[in-house]
Amino acid sequence: MIETRDLHKHFGRLHVLKGVSVQINQGEVICVIGPSGSGKSTFLRCLNFLEEPTSGQIFIDGQEITNKNETDINKVRAEVGMVFQQFNLFPHMNVLDNICLAPVKVRKLPRAEAEERAYALLKKVGLLDKAKAFPDQLSGGQQQRVAIARALAMQPKVMLFDEPTSALDPEMIKEVLDVMKDLGREGMTMVVVTHEMGFAREVADRVLFMDDGMILEENSPSEIFTSPANERTKMFLSKIL
Amino acid sequence: MGYVWSWQVIVQSFPMLLAGAGLTIRLTCIAVSMGILIGTFFGIGRVAKNALIFSLSSIYVNFIRGTPLLVQLYLVYFGIPALIGIPIPPLLAAYITMSVNSGAYVAEIVRAGIQSISRGQMEAARSLGMTYGQAMLHVILPQTFKRIIPPLGNEFIALLKDSSIVSVIALEELVRKGYLISGRTFRSFEIWTAVAFMFLFMTLPITQLVNYTERKLKKGD
Ligand SMILES: Nc1ncnc2c1ncn2[C@@H]1O[C@H](COP(=O)(O)OP(=O)(O)OP(=O)(O)O)[C@@H](O)[C@H]1O
Ligand SMILES: [Mg+2]
Repeated sequence: MIETRDLHKHFGRLHVLKGVSVQINQGEVICVIGPSGSGKSTFLRCLNFLEEPTSGQIFIDGQEITNKNETDINKVRAEVGMVFQQFNLFPHMNVLDNICLAPVKVRKLPRAEAEERAYALLKKVGLLDKAKAFPDQLSGGQQQRVAIARALAMQPKVMLFDEPTSALDPEMIKEVLDVMKDLGREGMTMVVVTHEMGFAREVADRVLFMDDGMILEENSPSEIFTSPANERTKMFLSKIL
Repeated sequence: MGYVWSWQVIVQSFPMLLAGAGLTIRLTCIAVSMGILIGTFFGIGRVAKNALIFSLSSIYVNFIRGTPLLVQLYLVYFGIPALIGIPIPPLLAAYITMSVNSGAYVAEIVRAGIQSISRGQMEAARSLGMTYGQAMLHVILPQTFKRIIPPLGNEFIALLKDSSIVSVIALEELVRKGYLISGRTFRSFEIWTAVAFMFLFMTLPITQLVNYTERKLKKGD
């Protein structure tokens, strides 16, 4: 589904990704953990080309998106949903318009059909009554659930989450994680950067531990949390668990 | 001092002054409208990644902002006709100069407005598969225009006052009218006081509007 080969990313002289190679299969839920500054966000953002890798290859569904001549990056992004730490809803549009914008403009879906899809998704994330609300009238947890619905409205093949609950008050974290759990159970391919170890343990098929721009360890959550092999993984987990 | 204030001269010259104010307003409104069009275009150019578009936009903005309006007016009214051999009527020269001038200032307002929108907005739009143009049109610019209403109001006020410069090419806007009338009546104090207040009456409502939208926007944020 997604494969990266020897991915490198430099910001000027800063070498942030130092050869990341992973394979993510259809329907898998992958959690990426690791200390701050280790390159987790950069890795995720490379997957939909919000950051352009300095070198290396990325394949999505067998298509090499790092080959710029043959790839329309907008088409690729339409298949890759992304949810941000800061929600990034469009503040000048109500919830319904936030969700319908891309399906109508990018997928050329008729408005009525887009709305139908939006309502179905709002029901799924439990916000059917908020369709006409504006983002600033919603709590953080509600905004993030709308952001998930907005990404899902494009019917992406894979969803990327960059610390989707880190900006939320504790009492709102669960409502967002529950939506994500449902999504994982329904078979969505997901890559989730998170500090929520409970979520990783419960939902992830695999956990990647990232440090200093490299993936130092990858394993099933039960293995990695109970008997981490790498010293750095051990140290990181002992600090946060 | 013994100076006797004359209401009569003000009343008598009022229709002429009003006609001058009419031209002042027309000049300013057209220049700012054109300026918003031009400025949106070049403001987007000023945040473009394309080096050529960025450079051209920057040259335009810096040239206009770095030279006096009076010189720009002379360049259009005297300079260009000398070059092309066709005279440009004063009114047209005034419209062109003020529009082009306003465009540069509006471009900087638009640029600052675009850059004040958080980067996450563009990223969210792009991550949904929208092109740069779609993201600009549907996500960034609508938010920008709301935010730049106050600085646009200030630009309108500035231009309204600066429009008096076109009196040097004999266009009878408010200042030129004042000059003509006071020369004829020898009632400088009354006339220039009247002219000052007429400017104030034109700018005050806009100042109020700017303050009002600023307050409203602050609440919205
Ligand atoms: N646009 C950028 N320009 C320059 N440096 C950047 C940029 N984005 C990230 N970096 C740097 O790259 C490194 C990795 O950042 P990244 O955001 O990927 O880390 P992270 O693992 O997501 O950390 P966190 O857990 O704090 O989110 C950091 O040192 C960061 O300062
Ligand atoms: Mg991060």
